[in-house]
Amino acid sequence: MPESSVIHDIGYQRYTGPRLGRGAVFGAIYVHGLRAAYGFGRSAKAKIFPWLVFGIVALVAVILAAVRAQLGTLPLNYIQFADAMSWLIIFFVAIVAPELVSRDLRSGVLPLYFSRPLRAADYIGAKVAAMVTAVWILLAGPQFIIFLGGAFTTKTGMSGVWNEIEDLLPAWGYSLIWALLFTGIGLLIASLTGKRAFAAGGIVAVFLMTTPVFGVLSILPSSTAQDLAGLASPMTLVSGVGQWLISGANTGMRIGEFGPVYAIEVVTLIATCLLLLLARYRRVASL
Amino acid sequence: MSTVAWITARGLFGRRRVLLLLPLPLLLVGLAVLCRSYDVNPADWGAPVLVGLGLAVVLPVISLIVGTGVLGSEVDDGTIVHILTKPLPRRDIILAKLGIAIGVSAVTAAVPLFVAGALADSARLGLGLAVAAVVGACAYSAFFLLLSLLTRRPVLLGLVYILVWEGLLGRFVSGTRVLSIEQYVITIADKIAPTAILEAKVSLTVSVVMAVIFVLGCTLAAVDRLRSFSMAGETS
Repeated sequence: MPESSVIHDIGYQRYTGPRLGRGAVFGAIYVHGLRAAYGFGRSAKAKIFPWLVFGIVALVAVILAAVRAQLGTLPLNYIQFADAMSWLIIFFVAIVAPELVSRDLRSGVLPLYFSRPLRAADYIGAKVAAMVTAVWILLAGPQFIIFLGGAFTTKTGMSGVWNEIEDLLPAWGYSLIWALLFTGIGLLIASLTGKRAFAAGGIVAVFLMTTPVFGVLSILPSSTAQDLAGLASPMTLVSGVGQWLISGANTGMRIGEFGPVYAIEVVTLIATCLLLLLARYRRVASL
Repeated sequence: MSTVAWITARGLFGRRRVLLLLPLPLLLVGLAVLCRSYDVNPADWGAPVLVGLGLAVVLPVISLIVGTGVLGSEVDDGTIVHILTKPLPRRDIILAKLGIAIGVSAVTAAVPLFVAGALADSARLGLGLAVAAVVGACAYSAFFLLLSLLTRRPVLLGLVYILVWEGLLGRFVSGTRVLSIEQYVITIADKIAPTAILEAKVSLTVSVVMAVIFVLGCTLAAVDRLRSFSMAGETS
């Protein structure tokens, strides 16, 4: 006859502290993504590439500020500065986007994420917000350096500083358009593969292959085709929107009367990329 | 065909992944056809399409993705251990992988360049571009294969080479052109079919000799590197 069975108390304890909800998870992913974008909390190797890009952009800004302090004229205005950095922004997106989404896919941690009170939209939202912030900082920080250079060397006192601020604020908005569009496209491509190497190559290929399309369309023998050529490439698309919205942008883009078309395409493109991202993460089981 | 080559080819092409290689060449041919059908002067569209897209983007980017993919993805997955533990000379492993990489990138880049060149000027220009693209594919593939053994982030380093070294410095600093594969490719194509579209900036001897040095040097270095290859865990 076996003895009557006993349930031993082996000391499992219940968690009685506060439970944080979706907002906290969102915030945690956002902060983690922003830190990961610049390699904080990672090894020194992970910091090389993002800080290389940031260093080059900041260096160009310092040189521009110094040239203006000496000569009194700015070789590139704030808008043209963002356009001139387009290749570095592409490279930065190719570094950061795979870092944010491809790693999670590869290490198979998504089921763990979604076992929390977290929806697909929260996950995507936090990643997009983190990357938009990272790309925006890449442009807005150096633009602020140029602003400081201008503000401290102005000859006309407070009104000079105020003029600078009036130039800087639209430029920050313009940088936000860059950040939104490039984040949308970059994250969408990176979310298709778990291999960071392929994701980086794919992002650069997609951005670079659009530039010659613009080059060809802009020499077609039709005025309308030339005005609409900028729609073909994300870089010229943003320039076109800047040309239309910001007076004195002088991006050199020919947009004719089609400014609204450019704006509509930017909005549609960003929205489409985000919706496709959401659709991509709709079924976690298939990832 | 050795088994290593067979496995590599299946890793590249398997599960419809080969379709990912198609858009870039199709875009190149599509743009050439578009310009041709609108009767745009080839002197105007030749440079942006053939050089700007074909030689500066399609050839290096495809070579980069394929060249780092043949060995780099096995290093990433850790499956390279299975190949290294087989009684095969390391030289044979590198040669098999390099052969596949060169073959795939050469075909993917040379065929559309031939078509676009023939549409732009003549079959002679197309042939020149195709031959140059094959030479370029050899040099790029060997270089990127070596990169995937030297570093854990071969694609980013390769992008720095393509975007910064060839793209930015190659255009403004003339001294770096001697070490730029893109310039060798342009020179070789220009010497085979002299046209106004391509503009050679280094001499033919330099480009041929340097291309051979790139291929042999990188292959030997890769074999040597694989001899003493140590597996590292996933780094951040």
